[in-house]
Amino acid sequence: MIVMRLITVLACVFVALPLVWLVYAAFIPAEALIAANIATFGVTLENFAALGDTGLWRAMGVSVLASGLAVTGQLAFGLGAAYAIRNGARLLGLVLLLMAIPSELLLVPLYRQLQTLSLIDTLGALIVPFLASPLVVFLLLQALRRVPWELIEAARLDGAGEGVIVARVVAPVLRPELVAAAVLAFAAHWNLVLYPRVMTTESLWTVQVFLTDLLRTRPFEWGLLGAAALVASAPILVLYVVFEKRIIATFEAGFRS
Amino acid sequence: MSERRQASLLALPAMAVFVLFSVVPLLSVARYATWRWSGTSEPVGVGAANLMRLLRDDALWQSLGTTVTFALIAMPTFLALSLVIALAIEGLRVERFVKALLFAPGLVTVGGSAIAWYLLYNPDFGVLVELTGWRLPWTTQPAAALAYVIAFTLWQQTGYGVLMVSAALKGVPREVKEAARIDGAHEREVRRFIVVPLLRPTLAFLTIVGTVLALQSYTAVYLLTRGGPFGSTRVLGYYVYETAFERFELGYGAALTLFALLVTLIVAVLQARVLVERSARGARA
Repeated sequence: MIVMRLITVLACVFVALPLVWLVYAAFIPAEALIAANIATFGVTLENFAALGDTGLWRAMGVSVLASGLAVTGQLAFGLGAAYAIRNGARLLGLVLLLMAIPSELLLVPLYRQLQTLSLIDTLGALIVPFLASPLVVFLLLQALRRVPWELIEAARLDGAGEGVIVARVVAPVLRPELVAAAVLAFAAHWNLVLYPRVMTTESLWTVQVFLTDLLRTRPFEWGLLGAAALVASAPILVLYVVFEKRIIATFEAGFRS
Repeated sequence: MSERRQASLLALPAMAVFVLFSVVPLLSVARYATWRWSGTSEPVGVGAANLMRLLRDDALWQSLGTTVTFALIAMPTFLALSLVIALAIEGLRVERFVKALLFAPGLVTVGGSAIAWYLLYNPDFGVLVELTGWRLPWTTQPAAALAYVIAFTLWQQTGYGVLMVSAALKGVPREVKEAARIDGAHEREVRRFIVVPLLRPTLAFLTIVGTVLALQSYTAVYLLTRGGPFGSTRVLGYYVYETAFERFELGYGAALTLFALLVTLIVAVLQARVLVERSARGARA
């Protein structure tokens, strides 16, 4: 047991170090670095102010727009697909197959496909291929299997069409799962690195491409790098903190079955 | 129109996206693999030349070896750490805090994580070398570079593994443990013979997660080492990217994609087999 606790303590230190340093670096004044005296205390926001000239805010705009629209599509289309499968459409096999293939492994054929559709270097390249996600379909299908079917039968007896049922009956019942799926899908899209790097050029850089470029062009500016990393993480951080309980509950439920 | 057919129509938008951006690309890889193509040029058909090149491409076999080494080190460590930490904090007052801390790297965006590691461990002007003079050799020594990428991956993912194992631990019935204790079992024996076997499905699931992580480690490689030094961290996925989009050989990149897909398929089938056999054995025991 002592060995196990020791490992745990070491793991905690190992995990905490980069995080602590990242936050610290973001708030230290530049003079502390010029003097090569990193133990200097003092808090400043100048690193965040300096981000204004770097293009970070533009990249944040592109990322928020692309991830937001992609996730909206994934929820709407995913709910439709999950509902169809729950009603007997034989598509689960395809969904499971696609879940097993990491999408960034298909960069080469995707590049050709986007070329054919004239999507290379457009905002659409960051959105259209991501309008549906097999993982979201799967999560929503798991959730649908727990919904009492009488609810849907009752709506049908009232004469509601299938589209109306999904929008007015199913969606409200699945709200917690939709929220959880949205957060996971948002983080996944937000964290894409190679895909946006390959499919777009500078004016459409997402936050990840921007960060890797900043690391290349200004490697000595610790404060600036730290501040940029924190700002870029903020959306995910906020979403997780707000919806923490729902995400964990949905994850565990999906994983049990 | 029947309700079922009407409902099926609702799958159309998602299916259109899947077909256009997953199925068609998947089915076209083999055709693109017969091209010489820089991405911007018109493709030229070269027959099986790219596929023949696969066989005598030393970098490919080195890359496959790197991927396997990565998986064989990263996955057992990931499983062991998840299990050990979840067991060590079970029921302690710090349990929630430790889990939150270990999960925290998942909240930092990947590019930001790369920056955090760079600031700390860069051998030329990172904090570690400034404060302690200890220069990590990951930019020059192949083994150290691979260890560095693996450490980064574990740093990102271990919290997730701990959460999963910990959730499963909560599902082990208290009575079973009590019964073993009454029969005179030590705590260590309770863990070894009661708790761990009951965690088998969770560990099996984490094995799959771990394998996927190994196959997807190309993002970490891109962010940290760009495959170097001397190709020592060039995992399969990264080799595909590098060939296609750094050296602009998309035709050969397609051939490599084909190879990577084959490897993914073999691993998935092997894994499904082992897991099915194991759970069958577990059920008999």
